[in-house]
Amino acid sequence: MKGAKNANRAYEKSSAPVNFLQIDHRVENISQPKGTIILPSSKAWENFPWVKSLFKIKPKEGYFIWVKEQGDMPLSTCLTISSPKTVQNLTNILVVEKNIKAKANVLCNSIKNNLCGTHKAKGKLILREGASLEYSHIHKWGEKDFVNPDYEFFLEKDAKLVYNYQNLLPPEKLDLITSVHSKENSSVQMNFVINGVNSKINLKEKIFLEGDNAQGIMKLRLVGKKNSQIKAESSVVALAAGKGHLDCQGLLVDEKSTIFLSPEIICKNRLAQITHEASLGKISEEELNYLRMRGLKESEAIDLIVSGFLQA
Amino acid sequence: MGDLLKVENLYAKGSGEEILKGVDLTIKVGEIQALLGPNGSGKSVLAQTIMGSPKYKAIKGEIFFKGKKITKMSPEKRVKLGISMSWQSPPAIKGIKLSNLLRKISVRKDFKVKEAEGFLEREVNLDLSGGERKISELLQIFSLDPQLIIFDEIDSGLDLKKIEIVSKIIKKEISRKKASILLITHSGTILNYFKPNVTNVMVEGKIICKSNNYKKTLNDIKKYGYEGCKKCKSSV
Repeated sequence: MKGAKNANRAYEKSSAPVNFLQIDHRVENISQPKGTIILPSSKAWENFPWVKSLFKIKPKEGYFIWVKEQGDMPLSTCLTISSPKTVQNLTNILVVEKNIKAKANVLCNSIKNNLCGTHKAKGKLILREGASLEYSHIHKWGEKDFVNPDYEFFLEKDAKLVYNYQNLLPPEKLDLITSVHSKENSSVQMNFVINGVNSKINLKEKIFLEGDNAQGIMKLRLVGKKNSQIKAESSVVALAAGKGHLDCQGLLVDEKSTIFLSPEIICKNRLAQITHEASLGKISEEELNYLRMRGLKESEAIDLIVSGFLQA
Repeated sequence: MGDLLKVENLYAKGSGEEILKGVDLTIKVGEIQALLGPNGSGKSVLAQTIMGSPKYKAIKGEIFFKGKKITKMSPEKRVKLGISMSWQSPPAIKGIKLSNLLRKISVRKDFKVKEAEGFLEREVNLDLSGGERKISELLQIFSLDPQLIIFDEIDSGLDLKKIEIVSKIIKKEISRKKASILLITHSGTILNYFKPNVTNVMVEGKIICKSNNYKKTLNDIKKYGYEGCKKCKSSV
């Protein structure tokens, strides 16, 4: 299949096999490592009664991954749009059992720039007691796509989540909703790297510190290029004696882009401690001139400053 | 020796204010020149204008490099032609390692400075000591393999030992390439290492004195101040 080849090519950075590959609405490949159950989410909904409690309506498409035993390879999924005007309506479920450490590389993409596709995804990700998950979420979209992921993470006692989201190629419109519910002694670190290129991007991220000693760090790096409109409403809410930090920084590369930051920290427990820092700015003329005086063209200097900003 | 850099009657302004007011400066191939002057006299602005900084606009006069008019050329093109400058206070480039920047800019891929090994994997100019910053500047500058280097107060904030280290690196590299340098400084210490062919004194946006005897110029400045330079009969 041409689409499958392209999707796999899009995944070229990973040397591991794709465990779940869906192109448009077709599941092209499922590869189950030992101790992990991988199914289309609709089948899991039929097979496991507890999955029904997660979603009232039977899922139409998407993946179900249940990590029951410790594996030695990262899991990988690829959800691809290959046909014009495809509307994906995905329900994704990932469960990591007690004390298991897992890594997941998740790619969502379009294989062409002009498919006008829609990618909607509802996700529930559950980390059982003491479980650990490093979740790398990469988006590569076409200029005319609409993308709306809505993910909820549930961290049980002592669980640990590192969530890295990066949109390497932004769609025309991205509505990204992410929430994390953290129980006692759990920790979450969320890093969002958002590139806006002629895009309208709305972000709503929340960390709820629901158990004592729960720790949450949320870091956003937003870059607005070519008439982009980026709005980020981020919050850390302490309902118990946890610690949280919110770090939002935006960089405007052109005159027509706007970034709206609305960081919010809410404390409902007097023993909780939450801090935040936020800043918005344009590219420093001094840095730009410095790099140009090292022989870089203006565009190369801007790209370098932006890539540094996203990594800092 | 042929002329490498020729600045003719240069006027430049920044933020609406005229800062350079008719600068004439010629640097020949392989020549070492010094530029002295009080704070705010326009030394750094001259350096930045020669480099083509968009912050300053040449409103009158011309700049030639190797006979080619470069007055309106972009900074990156001037670098490609062979001019470079070390900054007095270089900005930090967050998130970019020095080694990464060097990979992007270097003409001499094999060029190394052993004093820089400890901070190659750190972010460019971020949280570096004064001495490390100067070494970082030298590493970047000489990686570009320039023919003319402007050192804007490369000795500022350095102790005597560090001035010696920095001077030795510069001397070794300029003798390899027979590069010319313009040394902007306030201190005589570094001039003793380089013994400039010509020492220029800049006051109020203009070079008012050129001398072949840097020691005498330094002594005169020490004795009479820059005000004395204005009254001096040997002024240009």
